[in-house]
Amino acid sequence: MVDETRGSGDEFAVLTEISKPEQTWPAMTAKYGVENPLPPWKTSLDGLCDALDRSCRANDELDFTFKQRRDEEDELSADRYAHLPYPENQLLSLAHSLLKRGLIDEADLRARLASIRSRLEAQ
Amino acid sequence: MSEHGHDHDHSRTVKPMVDEITDFEVLEIALRELCIEKGLFTAEDHRLFTEYAEHIGPTPGARLVAKAWLDPDFKELAISDAVAAAKEVGIDWLEPTGFGTPSDFVAFKILADTPTVHNVIVCALCSCYPRPILGNSPEWYRTPNYRRRIVRWPRQVLSEFGLQLPDDVEVRVEDSNQKHRFMVMPMRPEGTDGWTEDQLTEIITRDCLIGVALPRPGITTNVTPLVRAAIRPIEA
Repeated sequence: MVDETRGSGDEFAVLTEISKPEQTWPAMTAKYGVENPLPPWKTSLDGLCDALDRSCRANDELDFTFKQRRDEEDELSADRYAHLPYPENQLLSLAHSLLKRGLIDEADLRARLASIRSRLEAQ
Repeated sequence: MSEHGHDHDHSRTVKPMVDEITDFEVLEIALRELCIEKGLFTAEDHRLFTEYAEHIGPTPGARLVAKAWLDPDFKELAISDAVAAAKEVGIDWLEPTGFGTPSDFVAFKILADTPTVHNVIVCALCSCYPRPILGNSPEWYRTPNYRRRIVRWPRQVLSEFGLQLPDDVEVRVEDSNQKHRFMVMPMRPEGTDGWTEDQLTEIITRDCLIGVALPRPGITTNVTPLVRAAIRPIEA
C-alpha cells in the first residue's frame, strides 16, 4: 500500500546521490566517442516497466497501475529529475515511485547498489 | 599480433564503447533484482518483455497499409475490423507477445485518411501507443509538449513536423487510452502506380502511421542521417 505520508516531494538520499549529470548517457557518449543515442540499459528498463505493469495490474494492493506509474514519471521528470536527460529521468522516477510505495526499501536499495557494483567490477 | 590470435588492429576496427559502469546502469539492475525478489515478476518475465521491446517496430503497420492500398476488400476489413486485419500481417492484437500483454488494451482501430480528413494520434493522458504494430513510441510522443498541444493546436504542431495541410482538410486528433489504441492509414500518394506491396511498404514510415507525416515516393525513413564532409575527398 502507498504510504500516504509520503508524496512526490520526498527526498530519497540514495537517489539524490545518483542523479548527477556526470554519468548520464550524453556525458558518456561525449567522453568515449560512442554514437548510440540511448544507453544500453534502456531496453532492460522497458522490460522492467512492462513486467511491473503486468504484475501490478493483477494486484490492486500494490496501488501502482500503469497510469499511476506514467503520471508520476511525468511529474517527477518535469520537476525533481528535470536536470536529467531521458531515459535517466524515467529510471529515477521509477525508483522514486517504488521507494515511495515501500515496494522497495531505501536501505535495501543502497546495499544492493554496492553489491551489484562490486559484482560487475569483479576481476 | 593481438592476443586472441588474429592480425588486425582493434583500435581501428571496433567501434568505441563506454568503458565504465555508471550508477544508472547499476540502479536499473538493482531495481529489477529487488522487484524479482519481492515476487513481482520473474527474471524470465523480464527477459521476455525486454526481448519483445527490442523486437517490435513499425513494419507490420506499414505492411498493413500497403496491403490496404492494393486491395479494396482488405482496406474495408482494416477499417471495420482492425484486429482481424492486423492478424494478416502477423500481429495477434489480443496476445501480441505470446506471454501476456504489458498493459490491458484490447481495442484497436485504424483511422483512414480521406481527401478531406487527416488523422493524427496522441495519448493526452500518458503515452498509450499501438506498440504491437508500431513498436515503441518515439520520445517526443511521450512529452507533455506534444500531448498537450496537439489536441489544442493540431495544425501548429503538425507544421512543426513539416506537415502543412490545406485549410479545406479537417484535422482529427484521436486520443488513445488504456483500452483503445489507434493507427493512421494515410492515403496512397501520387507517383506510386504499379508499385508492389514491398515498394509501398518502404515509404509508409512510422511518422506516417502516427499522422505527423505523409508518405512520399523516395522517402523511406524519417531519419535524416548526419553526413560529414570527407576528410580526403576523392578527386573527380
